[in-house]
Amino acid sequence: MKKSVYKSAMSRVKTSEDFQEATYQKLLSEMANKPQTNTIDQKERVIMEKAKRRTVTGWTVGIAACAVLSVSLFAMNQQSPAVPNTPPTNVAAKPPIMGKVAVNIDGVISEVSADGKSFKVGNLWVEVTDQTQLGSKEPTAAKPSEDLLQKNFQVGNIVSGYTSQDVNTGKVTADVIYNNIAPQKDEAAKPPVSGKAAVNIDGTITEVSPDGKSFKVGDLWVTVTPDTQLGIKGPTAAAPSEELLQKEFKVGNIVSGFTTEDVSTGKVNATNIYNNMAPQQ
Amino acid sequence: MYNSYELNESVRRALDLYSQSLIKVAFTYLKNIADAEEVTQEVFLAYLQKRPVFENNEHEKAWLIRTTINKSKNMLKTGWFKSRNPVPEDLSYLPKEENEVLQAVLALDKKYRIPIHLHYYEGYSIQEIAVIMQSKPATVGTWLARGRLILKEKIGGLDNEEICL
Repeated sequence: MKKSVYKSAMSRVKTSEDFQEATYQKLLSEMANKPQTNTIDQKERVIMEKAKRRTVTGWTVGIAACAVLSVSLFAMNQQSPAVPNTPPTNVAAKPPIMGKVAVNIDGVISEVSADGKSFKVGNLWVEVTDQTQLGSKEPTAAKPSEDLLQKNFQVGNIVSGYTSQDVNTGKVTADVIYNNIAPQKDEAAKPPVSGKAAVNIDGTITEVSPDGKSFKVGDLWVTVTPDTQLGIKGPTAAAPSEELLQKEFKVGNIVSGFTTEDVSTGKVNATNIYNNMAPQQ
Repeated sequence: MYNSYELNESVRRALDLYSQSLIKVAFTYLKNIADAEEVTQEVFLAYLQKRPVFENNEHEKAWLIRTTINKSKNMLKTGWFKSRNPVPEDLSYLPKEENEVLQAVLALDKKYRIPIHLHYYEGYSIQEIAVIMQSKPATVGTWLARGRLILKEKIGGLDNEEICL
């Protein structure tokens, strides 16, 4: 083979006559399409950015809602009344205090029928028949007692019950009467039974200082100063007594109180000492 | 939107100058003119998109040939190219001797085909072929020698040819 033969042969190989023109047109069309492609990219980018923004907004709102809920729960816990510590065994022995029943008869009896089997609560006349169940038979209900469920319906009694009938008719037959409580005559004389006090010193004294003015509760040393307020002076507080607030702090005594200082330091001055009770023999 | 005036002048010039050479390189690789033209179009498209900067015309041509070889290799690797069974390119219109020589070269393994083509058609030296093929000159020399030997066995030529290293 001679070099010229191969070159000649390859030179004679036919190619498309309009190759250059066709290629030129293709390049033109490719360049023409390029800006459109960019436009599409920009549109897609805008759409993606919107989608991302929605996602971010959704997450932000969700996290904010969670934060608000957390703060609310925390605040509610802070406001809840201080409950004195009780041994865990007592808690286990107590029956559950939660429970609910349907009630659509509730209020104070304003009128009682002559036969005593019907009474009026608000605008509703309620008839008690032999079929009416008296007292709650729910498993968590309190035991029936004369105080909670009196036999006679009298004006002034507080009743609660349930009827499956339409209370809008103005007259129904009670299916259940849960309570029929006579009004307490000496209510005004009794103090309210609820109240709360801040407590962050609470427990049994394990150690007392030689001067008797400091004691140890758990890991916390508490010093009683002349500024320490002894006893509870709230309007709902029980009357001070030697039994609830002994003068001397002794090992084994159960104390409760409050300090404005940081209890995590391990040593504080008591602002209040509510109780200092000797252990029950 | 672009128009013809905005089409890069260098691309137009390269199209005029090198399109036939590139088609022939691709044809040597693919053994089919239609495929070769398609690959060549892709090469010019890449040229237009990348707009490489060249030191001189030879550098430009070498880049185009290198790109043509790469795109031809890519086409050979594609599934549809492997799966098809194309009709051999009709070269019967060539004179008998030229047809035989061309068929003999196309029958060579591609690693011998391309150096033979670049040397005997484009006139590149071994060093230049080595640069284009990104190989060592000695390797290119070996490919050329083996290719020529095979061709000699087939068609008995190349007695008076010399390869200048």
